[in-house]
Amino acid sequence: MNESTLIPLISASQPVSYLWLIPFLPLFGFLINGLTGRRLRNNQWVNGIALGSVAGSFLLSVFYFLYLLQLPESSRSLHQSLWTWFDVGAAQIAGQRLTFATVEWAYKFDVLSAAMALLVTGAGFLIHLFSTGYMEEEQKDFRYYRFMAYLNLFVFSMLNLVLGSNILMMFLGWEGVGLCSYLLIGFYFNKTYAGDAAKKAFVTNRIGDFGFMLGFFLIFMIFGSLDYDTLMGSARSLMALPSITLFGHTAAPTFWMNLIGGCLFVGAMGKSAQIPLYVWLPDAMAGPTPVSALIHAATMVTSGLYMITRLNFIFVNAPAALHLILFIGALTALLAASMGLAQYDIKKVLAYSTVSQLGFMFMGMGAGAFTAGMFHVFTHAFFKACLFLGSGSVIMACHHEQDMRNMGGLRKYMPWTFWSMLLSTFAIAGIFPFSGFFSKDEILWKVFEGWYEGGTYEGSTLYLSAWLMGMVAAFFTAFYMMRLICMTFLGNYRGGGEDPYHLTVPGDTHGHDAHHVGTHVPHEVPWNMWVPVFILALLAVGSGFLNVPHALHFLGHAYFSEWLTPILYQVGAATEGVEVVSKVEYALMIWATVIWAPGAMALAYWFYAADPSWSRAKTFVKNYPNLFEWVHARFYIDEFYEALLITPTKRLAGQLWSFDTWVVDGMVNGAARATLLFARASYWFDTYIVDGLVNFVAWLLQQFASLFKAFQSGRVQNYAFVTLLGFVLLMLFKFLG
Amino acid sequence: MNALFTSIGHNLFLVFGLLACAGAAVMILSTSAVHSVLGFLFSMIMVAACFLCLSAEFLGMAQLLVYAGGIVVLFLFVVMLVELTKYKEKSLFTTQIKWSFPLVLIALGIFAYTMKSNLFDAATPVALSLSSGLAEGLSVSAQNAQMVSRGLFAGFLLPLEILSVILLVALVGALVLAKSERVS
Amino acid sequence: MISLNLVLFISSLMFFIGVAGVLIRRNLLIILMSIELMLNAANLNLIAFARQSGTVDGQAFALLVMGFAAAEVAVGLALAVALYRRKDTVQADDINLLNG
Repeated sequence: MNESTLIPLISASQPVSYLWLIPFLPLFGFLINGLTGRRLRNNQWVNGIALGSVAGSFLLSVFYFLYLLQLPESSRSLHQSLWTWFDVGAAQIAGQRLTFATVEWAYKFDVLSAAMALLVTGAGFLIHLFSTGYMEEEQKDFRYYRFMAYLNLFVFSMLNLVLGSNILMMFLGWEGVGLCSYLLIGFYFNKTYAGDAAKKAFVTNRIGDFGFMLGFFLIFMIFGSLDYDTLMGSARSLMALPSITLFGHTAAPTFWMNLIGGCLFVGAMGKSAQIPLYVWLPDAMAGPTPVSALIHAATMVTSGLYMITRLNFIFVNAPAALHLILFIGALTALLAASMGLAQYDIKKVLAYSTVSQLGFMFMGMGAGAFTAGMFHVFTHAFFKACLFLGSGSVIMACHHEQDMRNMGGLRKYMPWTFWSMLLSTFAIAGIFPFSGFFSKDEILWKVFEGWYEGGTYEGSTLYLSAWLMGMVAAFFTAFYMMRLICMTFLGNYRGGGEDPYHLTVPGDTHGHDAHHVGTHVPHEVPWNMWVPVFILALLAVGSGFLNVPHALHFLGHAYFSEWLTPILYQVGAATEGVEVVSKVEYALMIWATVIWAPGAMALAYWFYAADPSWSRAKTFVKNYPNLFEWVHARFYIDEFYEALLITPTKRLAGQLWSFDTWVVDGMVNGAARATLLFARASYWFDTYIVDGLVNFVAWLLQQFASLFKAFQSGRVQNYAFVTLLGFVLLMLFKFLG
Repeated sequence: MNALFTSIGHNLFLVFGLLACAGAAVMILSTSAVHSVLGFLFSMIMVAACFLCLSAEFLGMAQLLVYAGGIVVLFLFVVMLVELTKYKEKSLFTTQIKWSFPLVLIALGIFAYTMKSNLFDAATPVALSLSSGLAEGLSVSAQNAQMVSRGLFAGFLLPLEILSVILLVALVGALVLAKSERVS
Repeated sequence: MISLNLVLFISSLMFFIGVAGVLIRRNLLIILMSIELMLNAANLNLIAFARQSGTVDGQAFALLVMGFAAAEVAVGLALAVALYRRKDTVQADDINLLNG
């Protein structure tokens, strides 16, 4: 290892001047709104600032994206360094080497950042626009500016995360989005459940953040830098080393890469809601619906995937970490999808769906198909944001009713929302021309290929089991999404009092005050709400053609994968190996899109729409009561955590508290008491010995003085007497002497 | 009886002097301040009588006017002003009285003894006289006031003027000292 | 005839009564009167000596002493009044600010 490997590869990167404005515009928006919103009380102004700043970021991102497009592929990277954030001087890292790395406050706009920035600002803008309609009620009592300011801060943090040119910048954004999700989930902080959910999200994220921190501490100790370009440039030579010694432990580089990858994945688990840290995301529905869309669809949850893609040079060299990611992803996909089957809260269904889809993405990452995983991030962002915003419209149309049993038949009341959500449902289910097909099928195929290995079927059975779990999860996904559509939009409206089959339940509203009871007619939402939903639906339909798999090359190119190529460590290791398209791939595609997903949707339709009384579903539940109960209660995992982790933690905290009270405080108090005793002793010494000596001298002088003091009585008659005495003595001496 | 009166008439000075001393004793020993003042007044009048006996008629009259007419009245005013009766005095006398009386008696004894040992005993009185320039046109034995005034203005003009200034200063000083504080 | 010794004796008696008054009484006014008494005893001597020496100077001097005595009484009484106003007392031994 010599110094030359630490030189960053900035030769291909162009400096630009206005990159900083992309993240900072929303920050300015946050500052302006946050500082003046309370006093101005002008919602038009707040809207203008918030939407304008995000729109400005979006336009700037588009501008730089177009600028990148016209550059040759190898030099598609822009950067702007604002100032030096940390200067560590010389630090000793692994192998007795010194690093002189500094951490710059720098932004980087390369292919991955560009894609993410477009996603964050674009979807963020649509969600902002939706919020202006959805938060109508909050506009009246001037909580609104706070909401918009938080949203802007969130966009700033997220842009910092994706545009930062080193891991510390990413970590700043990473923590920033954690904070913002806390603030936004707890937006209705006067509600206990919102505060609890916010705390849960924050604490769970913190657990993951510790993993992430350990990961990038290790990266710094091994690589000697946190800058992406430097890291990527030195990865190859590091991997060529026979062994790396760190903290007295010598091991092969792969061991360290596995360790780093594992730690980083713990961070990704927290932020992207994977087992076992996924529990915060369903509870995060306590926030306003646009927040759910922003956090759970477009931005925050994708940060773990962005991180893995960004640091793919580590994960490619960490096979064990990749296997862990694959397995956890598949398990999450399956488990969360199954939980989604039995939820009645429309937002809960979508929340578990999100967790499940994130599991799919991690499966893709775990199979080494980073571009496929990233592509699913994008398509998922479109259709899940659309579904979330659509559910927000539905909730608002039904006057803050979230229970799907109290909906139904909304199709004729709100056609725009219905069609948008239906298209998105097709997309998420993976029906052929829609985007979900391209992204999800690609992931599942990559996973399958890990076992298939070009026809030899000699790959690890882990891939096979992951693929099977993914297929089941895909089936569940199609089922519960169709169930959602059927329960919400088909049949007759049950909220107005017409409920022939007694399906409704008493209102259990969340998020807003249950201010409305009695009959009412649902209505289409205003334009600023359905337009974003519709735009997102169109994107969900069409975006799949951005990344057409090789097998379907007659439909288009894998533009997205090619676009991301410059940041990949192993270019096309998995994609270009197979020139001849296997028949198995076609077979699986046809199976998935013709039989598997439509079958699940048809089953859901048969259960819930073809039979308006839901008797088939009820019979099923009656026959397998325990199964339904377990799924509905989400396998009691929250309770399991409560019993296994939280209660012992609380008990431990209580014991630590008593330890602190009795032993630590006791020691402190004992020390204080000893000091006090010593102080008393020295006080006594001071009073009686030191002061005593001084006072004794003074006393001696006083006694001596009091001998003569009597002469100075101050009484004039005494003096006169003495005068007379002297006179008499003089006379006696003179005349009688 | 007649002889007694004659004797008294011959020893008037002794009588007046002893009465003056008696008044003085009343003055220093009386418990009441007003009685003290009255004793002082009596003593002063007797002293004036003594002056007459010593053929200083002008001074005798002056003594009466100054003391009995002015100073004693002043004392009376002040005694009444300070309302001595308001404060029951803890004791009239100072604690040094037991030393003072013997000492005073010893001093008096020394004086008496000194005078007894014929310092001035042999001297006989002579008639008052003035120098020839000053005594022009005066009956020295009859016109005492004129004689004193001539002697005063001839030999003691400067002390007299200084005395007048001192009196003025005392007047102003007494005014300043005794006037009440102005409340600003 | 009045002998000089008699006058001196009477005047010294009077003087020592005044001294005793100054020494034993606590009342400032009586102390002042005692001082006057002593001055008068001195005046008596002056007049006796003037008569003995046959000059008028002694009488003139006694007149001056009388004037001084008047001034002294005026200032002394003013002091007593001021003292009474400030310290609410005319007892001589209450005034002992110079007490060591």
